[in-house]
Amino acid sequence: MRRVMLGVLLTGALFAMSLGGCAGEPDEGGEAAGDTYRIGAVLSLSGPQAGLGEPERRAIEMEVERINEKGGVHGRPVEVLFEDDATDEAKAVTAASRLIEQEGVIALIAASGTGQTMAVRQEVERAGIPQMSLAGGSVVTAQFSEWVFQTPWPNRIVVPFTLGYLRDSGVTRLGLLIDSGAYGKDGYDVIMAEVDRFGIEIVADEQFNRGDTDMTPQITKIRAAGPDALLMWAAGAEAATVLKNNAALGGDSPLSVYGGPGNGRIELIQGAGDAAEGFTFSAGKILVPEAYGVGSDEYEVTTSFIDRFTERFGVGPDIFAGHAYDGIYLIVDAMKRLPEGFTPEDLRDEIERTDGFIGAGGTFTFGPTDHNGLSEDDLTMYRIENGEWVLVGQAR
Amino acid sequence: MGERTIDIRTVAVLALVGALVFAVPLLTADRYLLKVLTFVGINVIIITGMALLFGYAGQVSLGHAAFYGIGAYTSAYVVTSLGWPWLGGVALAVAVTSVGGLLLALPSLRLKGHYLAMATLGFGEIMRVVFVEARGITGGPDGFSGIPFASVGGLAIDSAGANYWLIWGVAAAMLALAANLVRSRAGRAMRALHGSELGALACGIDLTGLKVRVFVISAALAGLAGALYAHVVGFISPSTFSLHASVVLVAMAVLGGTRSLAGPVLAAALLTLIPFADAVIPGLSRSALETIQEWQEDIYGLTIIAVLLFVPGGVAGALRRLSRVGRRWG
Amino acid sequence: MGGTELLQFVLAGLKNGSIYALVALGFTLIYAATGVINFAQGEFYMLGGMLSVWAYADLGLPLPLAGLVGVAATAAVGGVFELGAIRQRKDGDPLALIVITVGGSMVLSSMARHLFGPNERPLPLFSGGGSVSVFGAVLEVQTIWILGLTALAVVGLWYLYNRTGLGRAMRACAVNRDAARIVGIDTRLMVTVSFLLAAALGALAGLAVTPLTQTAFDVGPTVGIKGFAAAILGGLGNPIAAVVGGLVLGMLESVSIAFISSTYKDAIALIVLLAVLFMRPQGILGRSSREKV
Repeated sequence: MRRVMLGVLLTGALFAMSLGGCAGEPDEGGEAAGDTYRIGAVLSLSGPQAGLGEPERRAIEMEVERINEKGGVHGRPVEVLFEDDATDEAKAVTAASRLIEQEGVIALIAASGTGQTMAVRQEVERAGIPQMSLAGGSVVTAQFSEWVFQTPWPNRIVVPFTLGYLRDSGVTRLGLLIDSGAYGKDGYDVIMAEVDRFGIEIVADEQFNRGDTDMTPQITKIRAAGPDALLMWAAGAEAATVLKNNAALGGDSPLSVYGGPGNGRIELIQGAGDAAEGFTFSAGKILVPEAYGVGSDEYEVTTSFIDRFTERFGVGPDIFAGHAYDGIYLIVDAMKRLPEGFTPEDLRDEIERTDGFIGAGGTFTFGPTDHNGLSEDDLTMYRIENGEWVLVGQAR
Repeated sequence: MGERTIDIRTVAVLALVGALVFAVPLLTADRYLLKVLTFVGINVIIITGMALLFGYAGQVSLGHAAFYGIGAYTSAYVVTSLGWPWLGGVALAVAVTSVGGLLLALPSLRLKGHYLAMATLGFGEIMRVVFVEARGITGGPDGFSGIPFASVGGLAIDSAGANYWLIWGVAAAMLALAANLVRSRAGRAMRALHGSELGALACGIDLTGLKVRVFVISAALAGLAGALYAHVVGFISPSTFSLHASVVLVAMAVLGGTRSLAGPVLAAALLTLIPFADAVIPGLSRSALETIQEWQEDIYGLTIIAVLLFVPGGVAGALRRLSRVGRRWG
Repeated sequence: MGGTELLQFVLAGLKNGSIYALVALGFTLIYAATGVINFAQGEFYMLGGMLSVWAYADLGLPLPLAGLVGVAATAAVGGVFELGAIRQRKDGDPLALIVITVGGSMVLSSMARHLFGPNERPLPLFSGGGSVSVFGAVLEVQTIWILGLTALAVVGLWYLYNRTGLGRAMRACAVNRDAARIVGIDTRLMVTVSFLLAAALGALAGLAVTPLTQTAFDVGPTVGIKGFAAAILGGLGNPIAAVVGGLVLGMLESVSIAFISSTYKDAIALIVLLAVLFMRPQGILGRSSREKV
């Protein structure tokens, strides 16, 4: 019985310790945050989505330094506090509540993934601070919350754009290959809802899981259905395997493969090598800023970001870094438009009034029912030629 | 061991610690700390079942995250989509996971050792596919959002403090039930089971029936914890109920040590708190916190290895030694 | 569905199956020596690919040498893990050891992220792209490498077990550790050797697959589960059974895609596995008389 007592005692000690921990710190509310404007960022810096969180943190760190060098906001510096959610929803929720409760942040950049974004929502709504999501799931803004904004191009914009290109290229019979994660499933729903409008028939649809090592059975099955082209909706390393398997199976007549923004990663070109040649996908214009038109405002903003990022980190920014760039500036820009002494609620209202903000991912115009603010005009088609992204522009 | 009655000092200590645990929301308004400790409480509920299953009955399951998930989705669905009352949702979650546990236990418990582990792992992975694909109910990989807080009658349990009390109230009740169970006749039979199946058989113990019952209890506790989790967080998705979660639960149970409830409970608290070090360590700087977060998987793994290498008998073993030292002083 | 397509599904099943077989062989070797399921086996697969990429891309070694470095370095990691962690648990309690391997797997994948970053990294195909036609079906050259290396590993293991003193000592340990110790076999050394070999086998699988799939710090657990399932399906502790289990599992997945649905391929394979276990609790080729634990 003594063991039980001891166990209970130790548990008690643990609690006492944790209470001591918070007793020492004053409850920092908004005004106690002192001279800086504090913004929280919950990103996936470890776990499966670490590849998204890392460039996002770099972009935010770099831009916050730049904002502060230029005098911050109303003469006060901006401070971004990062938390790692380890690609885990429960951790994202506690991280958000920590930033809100203990650090008194006025806005939250959260999160890298769709799941973590949705998990944090309840905290944000209750605290009444704006949330800027860097995740591309349609659900983020389709399940509307007045507090939540989204910087990536959601599938409900990208998919019709891509299908339009396929129709213009003369594709009527389409094979579909998706990953079983949130990105693929979300894309699948939008594709199935939209294909009829474009006169396209899905003749085969197959899926694969994260971590699968071989997709030849799926592609064999799709090829047997006789499609004009293969549309792959997948984010992640497996896309390169799909391209390689498809090239090998096709021999002299491989299926033409099309994809979406999840494929706009340099790792895909490096991983698929020759098999990536001719792969065509839709994405924002950040990959080749010339798409904005050389000399345009969008071109200047994007190339300046790319140059500074490349100089500092030795690699170019990917689309995720671009989403983070847009996220931090959409918040800071709204802060600058407000008079000093604004509340988080004022900030939310002002972000919603964003009109024609030029970012790396496109031109944002938010509204009371549109918290993504992008349109098909912010998208373009790329083809991989000689290991580089090349603008395709109009359909063949 | 062996005392059937609880002496007055134990009662006093239990009451004191119980009072301390339940006083936390009165002493702090820090919702972050309360949330973290609420997650500890949820894990304590699951680990109570795992401690019975592993520590007393000697069975290993790599599928309990699936029961956790089934409980969470069941309650989330009937409460959010069908408008059931919260208590009904939680009760249904417990019922569904009990039946699920029974259906899995009947054929599986014929299996031994690693084959049993594989069968439960297989069940867990199949359920993960179901969570992802049964999108009409679960919301698929996007998850299930907008789950309301617990409420009883017209009373909503919607503050961090109230949720803390709810979870720790349930956890305390479950621990008390488990403590009663292991002191009962069935508990002694379970201990015999862990020691030697053959010996237990010779004593005329209905082995299969006992194992099945313990498995069902542990599945129901995981389902109960899942249902509570869904309403505390308000959002669930398949990634929370992965094999990784099942493996961590087994790690907590093994770290805790056998034939003990206090050991696994402390091990669960320790492992749950590692990523939230800043909640319990006073005055931790931001850069230190970021370093801990960057290395949390390493710290986690090394803690598991270190406890198993340097603390014989796990946390329960350490408690036993401490109590021996205490007795010498006392 | 035509015969060519059917053959294509069979080839895909063989390819995935031989990867699973290599990983399953690692599980089986360590199980035979210690009675333990090594949860870090998937991380050896990850390290095999990752360290080869490191040797090739970061050190600039030629590909064959880089592959050798990758496999050897992973084997060394396996050995160090055994000496530093597994061996230190003196009582050899299997469950404690299993959970130690869980901790080890967390540390290994996290270290890989610290050292090599969060993104996937590529490795060139061993002998260029291209494929050969087998009765109209397509066989990628890299797949021939995968099948060949698996066959080589199996033959090598067979030779080791049946024709060398070391192998006979390992088999003696697997049958009865105490008896082996009495006749003068260093059973501890045999455990270390089994970890070295298991790590090398996992690494070989990772090395062979990476040119097709790339590799990243988090690829281990998925393949680890498949390898564990294959080892159990065949019957633990028997190398032939591990290979059979791997090939059967690969075929099951491929056939599920062909005739049912790619969405449920993993679930179907697992349901079949459960059904097999419930009918034959010791796996397809396992012998019930050798129950451990």
